[in-house]
Amino acid sequence: MMKLVTAVIKPFTLEEVRTALEGANVQGMTVTEVRGFGRQRGHTEVYRGAEYKVEFLPKVRVEILTDDGDAERVAETLIGAARTGNIGDGKVWITTVDELIRVRTGEKGHDAL
Amino acid sequence: MSTSKKMFALTLLTFLILIIVGLASGSPGDASGTATGSIGDFLTATNAPAGVTDVPVSQVGINQLASEAGHLRVSINFTWTLITGFLVLFMQVGFSLLVTGLTRAKNAGHMMMMNFGSFVFALIAYYICGFAFHFGGVAPVANLGGIAPLNSIFPAGNWGLIGTTGFFLQSGGTYDVGVIALFLFEVVFLETAGYIVIGAIAERISFASFVVVELAMGAIIYPIYGNWVWGGGWLSHLGQTMGLGHGSVDFAGSGVVHATGGWAALALAILLGPRIGKFGKDGKPNAIPGHNLGYVVVGTLVLVFGWMGFNPGSTLGGTDLRIAVVAVNTLLAGCFGAVAAMVWTAGKWGKPDISMSCNGMLAGLVAITAPCAFVAPWAASLIGLIAGLLVCWGVWFWDNVAHVDDPCGAISVHGICGAWGVLAVGLFADGTYGDGWNGVKGTVKGLFYGDPGQLGAQAFHVVIGFAWAFGVTFVLFSIVKRIVKFRVSPEVELEGIDVPEFGALCYPDFVLTSGQTSSGYVPTGAPAMAGASGPLPGERA
Repeated sequence: MMKLVTAVIKPFTLEEVRTALEGANVQGMTVTEVRGFGRQRGHTEVYRGAEYKVEFLPKVRVEILTDDGDAERVAETLIGAARTGNIGDGKVWITTVDELIRVRTGEKGHDAL
Repeated sequence: MSTSKKMFALTLLTFLILIIVGLASGSPGDASGTATGSIGDFLTATNAPAGVTDVPVSQVGINQLASEAGHLRVSINFTWTLITGFLVLFMQVGFSLLVTGLTRAKNAGHMMMMNFGSFVFALIAYYICGFAFHFGGVAPVANLGGIAPLNSIFPAGNWGLIGTTGFFLQSGGTYDVGVIALFLFEVVFLETAGYIVIGAIAERISFASFVVVELAMGAIIYPIYGNWVWGGGWLSHLGQTMGLGHGSVDFAGSGVVHATGGWAALALAILLGPRIGKFGKDGKPNAIPGHNLGYVVVGTLVLVFGWMGFNPGSTLGGTDLRIAVVAVNTLLAGCFGAVAAMVWTAGKWGKPDISMSCNGMLAGLVAITAPCAFVAPWAASLIGLIAGLLVCWGVWFWDNVAHVDDPCGAISVHGICGAWGVLAVGLFADGTYGDGWNGVKGTVKGLFYGDPGQLGAQAFHVVIGFAWAFGVTFVLFSIVKRIVKFRVSPEVELEGIDVPEFGALCYPDFVLTSGQTSSGYVPTGAPAMAGASGPLPGERA
């Protein structure tokens, strides 16, 4: 079995997260620009004197496929690099992956990692 | 040696050879330029017989010299007038960027096409009859050689209302270099009044009715009022007829160009109504952020550059050395206006607002346009500073009190600050310039320099200007509204005007979303993916 580690983090922490994960022997990752809100529920700004609410804040979603045993360690490494201690640092979750196939060769499971 | 190294050495060698050949190709001619342009050029120009090397010491010789000097004087003025006119033309670029940046990506094609359309339609209308109405009776214009053909105004005398010659640049012998040089300079001023309105009617007017706006602006609204102040019409003669200073004085058009555009924009914005989602049910204004503040800043800076033609060019002559004062006054007012708006927004909302800072700069420029030639640098700074504050108040007023939706601040920048600029002449004109202006002896002086009458003439200019531009536009388009489809349908407005009106998106390869800053104004049920093609998820009125 394999795991998918998914994290939603502050965009500016991405570079540190990538460096840290590379150091932890992570072979690949997928990054998406996303928007969302958590408990802080966005904030208000003023444009030309009229207020508006920024309800969805820009975040980056990072997805990493790992071996079963590595998932915890990868998540810890990621959290260490993404944490600023302020609200809006994001979340990490780990899910189970049923099957994994490398497109180029057709390798399956651990070989496809 | 690798191929790239060989290539590098060969290139170096080739250049070295070229440089050496260049060096060895001969000795210099008049490299300092001091010997070019001399008596020989004068003799050639006056067709002196071969062998003659001196100007004849006679009345004939003196007249030849004087004639050449006069021709040169007018040539310098022509060159100045045309080149500054080209600078004003470039302001089209700045305004296109400014107003497109201040509106949403889904309407960028619509915004650009309106800027483009205002250019071509207003120019044609002005060519047909606008110029004739405006300047048909302006002669004499000494700086451009007199322009004798433009000598007909109705009614003749000090109460002129409309020029009557110069139609198609042909009627009454107006196929004439002086007339046509003036046309170039004045048509780009009309263009300015013509595109100002776009800021206030953006993101909802139909292109068909926009074309009617531009034709009306180029043929009637702008030129007839312009005649009253610049074309020898009645407001310019208030000095003779009512004893009010030099009559209405408006050096480069705070009133004639900017306030006219601004007040016409106000009438159109009222007739159109606000964009969907601009005001909440309680009347509270919502922010509808523009999609490209980079365009806004670059557009503003292009406009400042163009203003170096707008104001200094309005001397219609490079032989009038006041142009230096005019140019620097213009820059001072713009910068003081920008800082005023920056500080106001920072003081009120905690951060300096980028687009309001740009509006502040434009406010300063608009306000100094009428007084730029008549005031000292300190007064220009003060006029700009007040304009920068006025524009902030104006944007707040139209949003929160009058509930008129003006997406780009056109009414505040051009209407309010244009009117302020006209009044400022009547306050701060310091009597160092304008001897004999509008046929009245002496220099132009404002209230603070001892001529309250001038302020009276300026007040006339402000009030009549508002009544004309707002009134005529309002009445005319109350009628047009019944004939032409005035506003796009709500579905089109929500989807974005580009595809429904023009068949193409401005940004076809971009995924357009309402953006992280937009959710505050997208009304419930409106499509989140603005501008993307495809049907609306839900119909709403």
